[in-house]
Parts: sequence; structure tokens; C-alpha cells
Amino acid sequence: MTFDGGAAARPTGRSYLARRRRTGTLLVLPALAVLALILALPIAASLALSLMKADTADFRFGVFVGLENYATLLADPVFALALRNSIYWMVVEVAVVVVVALWFALLLNHPMGRWSVFRIVLLVPWALAPVANAVLWKWIYNSNYGILNFLGTATGVLPGPVVWLGDPALALNALLVAEIWKEIPFITLLLLAGLQNVPRILYRAGRLDGAGPWQTFRFITLPQLRTTILICIVLQSIWALKSFDLVYVLTRGGPANATTMLNFLAYRVSFQFGNLGLGAAVADILFFVMFLLALAYVRVFRPARAAERGAA
Amino acid sequence: MDDRRLVTPRGLTRRSLLKRGAGLGAGALALGAMPSFLAACGSSTPSGPKELKVLTNQPPDPAPPGVAEYSEEAFAKWQSDNAATVSYESIPYTQIHDKLATAFASGNPPWDIVYMSGWVPEFSKNLATIGDMISAELKSDLPPSSFKTVTWDGKIQGVVFTLSLMTLFYNTEHFEQAGLSEPPRTWDDLLRYTKELTRDGRYGWVNNYGAPEGIGGTANLWMSYLQQAGGTMYDEGGLPIFNDAAGVDAAQFMVDLWDAGTEPGSISYVGIADTTNVFTAGKASMMMNWPFMWKPANDPASSAIAGKIGAAVLPAGAAGTASIDGTDAFTVTLASKNPELATKLIEFYLAPEVQKRQVLDTGWLPIRLSTLEDADVQAAATNAPIVLEQAKAPYDSFVTPDYIEVTQAIGTELQRCIRKEKTAQQAITDASDQVAAIIKAR
Amino acid sequence: MSRRWRARLRRTGILMGLVLFVVWTLAPIVWALISSFLPLRALTATPPDLAPGNFTLDNYLGVLSADRDLIGGLRNSAIVASFTAALALLIGSSAAYALARLRVPGSSKILMLILVTQMFPAMVIIIPLFIVLSRTGLTDSQVGLMIVYLSFVLPIVIWVLKGFFEAVPRELERAAAVDGASTMQTFRLVVLPISLPPLFATGVFAFIEAWNEFFFAVILTQSNAKTAPVVVAEFSGQYVSLYGQMVAAAVIASIPVIVLAIVFRRYILEGFVEGAVKG
Repeated sequence: MTFDGGAAARPTGRSYLARRRRTGTLLVLPALAVLALILALPIAASLALSLMKADTADFRFGVFVGLENYATLLADPVFALALRNSIYWMVVEVAVVVVVALWFALLLNHPMGRWSVFRIVLLVPWALAPVANAVLWKWIYNSNYGILNFLGTATGVLPGPVVWLGDPALALNALLVAEIWKEIPFITLLLLAGLQNVPRILYRAGRLDGAGPWQTFRFITLPQLRTTILICIVLQSIWALKSFDLVYVLTRGGPANATTMLNFLAYRVSFQFGNLGLGAAVADILFFVMFLLALAYVRVFRPARAAERGAA
Repeated sequence: MDDRRLVTPRGLTRRSLLKRGAGLGAGALALGAMPSFLAACGSSTPSGPKELKVLTNQPPDPAPPGVAEYSEEAFAKWQSDNAATVSYESIPYTQIHDKLATAFASGNPPWDIVYMSGWVPEFSKNLATIGDMISAELKSDLPPSSFKTVTWDGKIQGVVFTLSLMTLFYNTEHFEQAGLSEPPRTWDDLLRYTKELTRDGRYGWVNNYGAPEGIGGTANLWMSYLQQAGGTMYDEGGLPIFNDAAGVDAAQFMVDLWDAGTEPGSISYVGIADTTNVFTAGKASMMMNWPFMWKPANDPASSAIAGKIGAAVLPAGAAGTASIDGTDAFTVTLASKNPELATKLIEFYLAPEVQKRQVLDTGWLPIRLSTLEDADVQAAATNAPIVLEQAKAPYDSFVTPDYIEVTQAIGTELQRCIRKEKTAQQAITDASDQVAAIIKAR
Repeated sequence: MSRRWRARLRRTGILMGLVLFVVWTLAPIVWALISSFLPLRALTATPPDLAPGNFTLDNYLGVLSADRDLIGGLRNSAIVASFTAALALLIGSSAAYALARLRVPGSSKILMLILVTQMFPAMVIIIPLFIVLSRTGLTDSQVGLMIVYLSFVLPIVIWVLKGFFEAVPRELERAAAVDGASTMQTFRLVVLPISLPPLFATGVFAFIEAWNEFFFAVILTQSNAKTAPVVVAEFSGQYVSLYGQMVAAAVIASIPVIVLAIVFRRYILEGFVEGAVKG
């Protein structure tokens, strides 16, 4: 750590910047060290494994097979279906979670929504252990004794009991609803923090200019939230592609692979089938998809940010 | 540590492996270095009483004394007699397979004894061959077919400790209302009964077709029909031969049963517990179930039909009745430093007195034939005679090293045919092709 | 007149929105609570048998008396989660500040690298990780879990906080520097105090993730370091699923997190001091 001592500190001088940079490097190092110590080896192993034929019985003695695992995947219709499911899942989840969370954040940021009970309510779904959450939804969706079918038929919304998890299209969307419900709180919390960071003076200026609520939202709130929203989208995309618990507990990837996604496939192939090489290949393709996405997001958002800065 | 662990099944030495691995980056390198570390670990000598570590199911799933509450005094006595301490890691069934896979892959499984359910062939390389160590007396008192699921490559690597095979459960009250006086004996009976019992918002049949894979999954359930129709899975050379009349009949029967009145949620239920809930709520009249469910299904706290349940052998197809094996077994890991003592502990778990308390106190039937014939046992577990009768017919679950992969493929095709996306013939042909490919890649 | 009407309409709209928010968020939870007080037989009936006589504490009593050590799980979760959150905030906030403001060379690449560590599914890193931890004797230990969780939450903490630190007006930092504050002092005394909501959000994130993480906890613990969600999951077996007890256990396991939210609730909605921005 550097202590500047305060003598002759000239905020815009070169030494000021150099000192800041040096302090900065020292501040970043612990985080990088933690990540490298824990994850470097497993990540390297997962990349290496995808080029090997290795199974759980003799994992340490894999044989190098080049790109064979990847070739196997490209020819596998289940992999293609899982990729499609993953992309659909991610797009819908990210869009719905971010939009609804933004709406909730605006509500909670409104003077009427500032009652502290609302903030605690917000955290409740998040606090529920994921496995219990998955089992809870499994019971809610049960076509025979589930509460959803009972409420639906009792109120006349549903003509009769629906087998939510038995029909391919329904099953995937049913899982999505449960996932979205669980994922909204954190994104809401982030956006709420983002809203707190919007300087009030901007709103006052907007009001003076006679801006209505929609215009305030469109021209003040939204641009100010840009970075927060970008972060939400990036993180939520990664989490959406990695979601696992619900599929594992509710459908095991069925019916007929309709809810099999890449992450679950990686699990099934690695752990259930014991084919660690092939499982690593699935995982590495998933990694590649996420990586490209993250790059794309950052690029899409970057020019606007630079422009903003230039204007400031 | 055992020297064999340093040599791969393919006959590669550690050195040649390290050479191979060198190009593959830090991960492979560090993993290649593992065996020397393990060898170093093994050199420490144990002192004092020997410790046995056991990985097992949690009750109410089948579990040994000390985890489940039975034969606890005998268990304490066994430990002092043998100067051994037994420490349990008991975890839910759903976590056991993945935990085993990780520990075996790491080469350093911490347990001496592990519970297995149809995974013996898969983990065969990691297990000790205990067949030669168990007493002839015990072996002769177990049904010979119980060794099918714990034997691979001619080596007996485990002992099944509970007789767990599916039989028919039916709701006697529903039967009376429909004027049915006895359980269905044949496939035709079953279809007719299912149709007649499907009324008043109830269904004749319920099953769990949601999870294709593993013991109790869709494919495994189909295997019971396959054997009832006179078919089998593999030929002598281990290649699939189920794509025949019997295999297709079995799949078609599942479809017919669906149309006759299978509870529609069945396609979505991923476990036997989901299915049992429908049956015990009185919303389905018949199901095939494991013997253990007899006890909770007759418990008024969890069941609305307590005391109204009948049991029978599964209805016969062209070749008679047949069932599938739930195969709850104990095995000894190759990493165990005390394989003889571990085998002795398994023998204790299967001692007649322990087997008897197992069924009386926990509801899990014994596997010893002599205990099954015991009057007290038959009085307490009223379905025991039925299970015993069912056990006289075939009840193979056809486990292989790639069992989960094989059943995943077959079960998924069966889901398609139940959902009418494919005919039974198409589904079985496609499943057979996939299974052949899986075995070829083995 | 029409203006007042519009204002009233807007108030009604917001009220309805808030009602919808509460219903959507709590409906499944309410059902979970109800089911935790009912026996299995009442839950599998159609309609669910909600007769008052059916309500019972049996599930809770069962959870607390069962051999499964929920209390031990809660203790482990509390220790692992608190340390993970504290360390993540300490290490993460400083790294985030450096990357946002201190012109660290290659900062955008570092950020991407940090994010990349989160892009590998747990299923492929768990076996090598298991080997690393068992070599270092850290399987089945609280420290082992804590380090693993730290590596999962750090990147998120850094990404989130970095975004917020970027929004801190530069004038504040310059003013502090003019007053003779060192970089560290500026960070600690100027930047952190006005970033409480994002710090809280990420702190809660780290805590809940570590509290509730399941997959790694299952594989990496045996009996000493089992966390709460692992114990909760133990109520779901092969032949029998003790649904009521499982939900009861989950309710108990959520309480500490909710208490935490109650204690820190004001930090959710407290941000910039207005004067600071004007300056």
C-alpha cells in the first residue's frame, strides 16, 4: 500500500497519476492471486480434458485424442438441441429478468415503494435454498396434486389439469418461470443501487424542462443506468447459461430432452455417463459461447459510453 | 498404496503418461503427478483400532445399522469384537453416484465400503473382488440372481442386502367398487382393469416415465415388460438384441397401457416418490412399486389409502411374469487398506439376526432366503410372500458399465413413443442403434 | 383537475404495481410456508386439505430431531458465508476501484480475464478442484469451501462495484487529493461511504451465494463442513421424499438470511448524499 503523505500533492501532476497507477496495481493483485490459485488449474484441466479420452474410472490416465470429442458433439442431435434450448433459455431469461427487475426497481425507488418491508420481501426468494426452491416448484407444477393446477381449474383459468412438465414446449417455459422468479431479486437490487446513483439534480433539471415521467425515464434514468444494465445483462447471461438446479430436480432434461441444456448436458455426460473428455468439450463450447457474448455486449455498449465521456 | 494403481488399464506406465501429458498444459501435468502423491500417503501406518469408513444411503432409504435404527447393540459388539471403529458418511441417494464418480476419478476415495445401486460394472475398476472372501454359507442363502447386478467380468464385487424388486400394488377399495375380485394376472387383464378403473376422476395406472435413466427409470421399467414378453437385452457377446418382437411388444404395451388410462402426469414424474404420492392419495388404482413402499403406503400420516392396498406379482406377458431389480448393494473399494475386515462388516450387515431387524425395524426386506421365510418377518411384512414369489421369475435390470448412458438412450426413445412421436417399432429400432453405438465406443 | 386525476391514476398504478410485486414474489413462499405445516397426505389431496386440524408442527419437530444436522449445517454456512462476504468485499472493492479509476495497465483485459473464470461450468472444474483440495487437505473444511466460494463471488463483486465506482464524480476525488488525501484515503473516506447500496448489494450477493451454494458443497464436504443447503437436500431420498420436512428445513435455513436483510435494510436504499454531488 502506498501512503502519499500529502506533501506537495498536485492532483493533476504526473506523479499523482503514477502513484495512483501503482496503488491500483497493488490493489488488483490480491484478487488476481485468489482467482489464479483456485481456478487456474481446474480451468486448464478442463481445456486439456476436452482433447482427451478420459472417464471417471481412470480420469488421471486420459489419452490424447485431438478434436475427436468436438467432432462427436457436432454430429450429435442432442447437443444441437441442447444448444438451441440454451440460447432460447438465455435470451428469454435475460430479457424478462432485466425488464421486470427494472420495473420492480423503479417501483421500489418511488416514494410509495420505500417502505422497508418491500426491501425485505425482495430478498426472500433469493434467500431460499436452491434445492428446496426446485423441489417447491416441482410440487407447484405437479399435474396431479400441484397447487397451480388446482388454483387454475378452481378459478376457471385452466379448463382442466395441465401436465406442465410433460409437454416439451410447456416444460421448458415452466422451468423458465421458476428460474426467472428466483433470479429477479438480485438484478432488482443492483438496478435499485444504480437508481440511487443517478444524481437527483438531473431529475430536478428535467422537471424544470417540463419532462413527463416517460421522458424522465427515457432520457435521464435509462442513460444513467446504462453501465448497471450492461453488467446485469452480462452476469445474467452467464448465469442463465449455467443454470442447473431446476432441470436436475424437475425434469432431468426431459421429456425427450426438451429441457436439456448445455450445462445439464455437460453434467450428464461427465458425471452420469462418466465420459469426462466429452463432458469437458460440452463445457468448453459453453464457455466459448459465453465468452463471445461477453465480448459482444461490452463492444455494443462501449462506443456510447465513450461518447458520453467525451461530452462530459 | 497398491502398486496396480500406478499402471493404467491400458498398460501405460506413469512415466509414459507424464510424457504424453506434458503437452497438455498445467492441468494434465498436475494430474499426472497425483499417483506419486497418493503413494506417499499410503506409507503412513495405522495404529490403534482399525477404522472403516462407509459411504451409505440415508434412511428411510436402505441403510446399515448405526445409520438406520436397528441392531445397534449387535453393531457395537461387532466393532469391539473386531477392534474396529466404523464411521459413516450417510448422504441422500441422489448425491451418491456423483460423489463416487468424483472421488474415484481423483484416485483417492476416502471410503472402505460404499453403497451401490447398479453402478458396480461402471466402477468395476475401483472395486475389490469380494466374491472369494464372503462365506459359502452366506452365498448359499442368497438368491443366485441377486449377484447379477454386482458381478462384472465374472468377478463378484458386491453383495445385495435387501430384496428389492417391483411387484404390483393395487387399491382394494377401487377394485371392490369396480367389482374386481382379484388382481390382474395377464397383460390383457391389466389393460382391461386399467380401462375399468379409470373413472370418477381417477386413473387405473400410474407410473414415472419422466426420468429415462438409471434404476427405476423409464428404460428400466420397460425391461420388466421386455422380460415378461420373453425378450432380453444382450446376447452372449454383449450386443443388444432387444430389437425383436418382445422388445417392440414391451414398448407397445406401455403405449396401450397409456391409452387405457395411465395417469397423464406419469410422463413428467421423475421419481417413484412422485408416483407413489398419486397412488397413496387414492387417485390411481394400480402401480408397480418397490417392496419398501408397502410400509409408508400403509401409514395414515402419509397415505389416504392405508390398509386398502393389495400386492400381487406383476401381470404376465407371453413369457410369464418378470420384474426388475432395485439392487441395493454394498461393495469394498480397491483403495481400502482393510478389505478383509470390510468384507467381514458386510457379512455382519447380512447376518440373519441383523437382516431380520432390518425388515422389522426399517421395512426393508431381507435378502437372505432363510430370513424371508421367517414367520415373524412374513407376519410383519405382509407383502413379503408376494415379493418372494416374484423373485422366482426373472428380475434382471441388465446393468453394464454404461448403464446410465444406455438407459438414457432407450428411455428417451420410449418417452417419444409414449408421446406418440414415434411408433413402438421405430423407437425400439432407434434405441437399439444407439445402444449398439454406445457399446461399440466402450 | 385533470392533473390531479392523472396524479391519482399514477398513484393507483404504482400501488397496483407494488401489490403485483408482493404477490408475485411471495406467492410461492407462502405456499412453501403452508406446506411446511401440513402432512404429506393433506398435500397430495385435491384440493389440498387445508382443514385447520391438519396443521401441525411435525415437520419442524422432525427436522430438528432428525439425525441430519441442520444446526451444524447452519453454523457452517454462517461461518463460510460471513468470511466469504467480508473477504470478497475487502479484496473485491479495492480491485474494482483500481480497475475503475486508477488506470491500471490493461484494465479492460484484466476485467475480461476475471469474468472468464466464471464461464466454466461447475461440472468440469469440480474434479480437478477436488484433487487440488484433497492434496492440500482442504476437503471437508470450512476454509476450503470459503476459498472456493471466494473465487466465485469475487469476479461478480469486482464487475458490479467497478461499474458503480465509475459513476463516482471525479471532482470528489480531485477535491480529496487537493486536501492532501492519499489514494487509499480517498478510496476509504470518500468513495466507499457514498457507495453503500452497491456495496450492500454485492455483500448480500456474496453472503447468499456462499450460504446457499449446493453443488460444490455436496462434493467437497463429507461430514464436518456440510453447509445448510446440503442438509436441506438430505430430506429428499430415492424412495421417499420428505417434502414437508425439506420445506421446513429450507424455511429455517432462510431465516438467518432474512434477518440479515432486516438488519441491513436501510442500506438497500441509501446512496449519494445530495450535497456531495452538487459539490
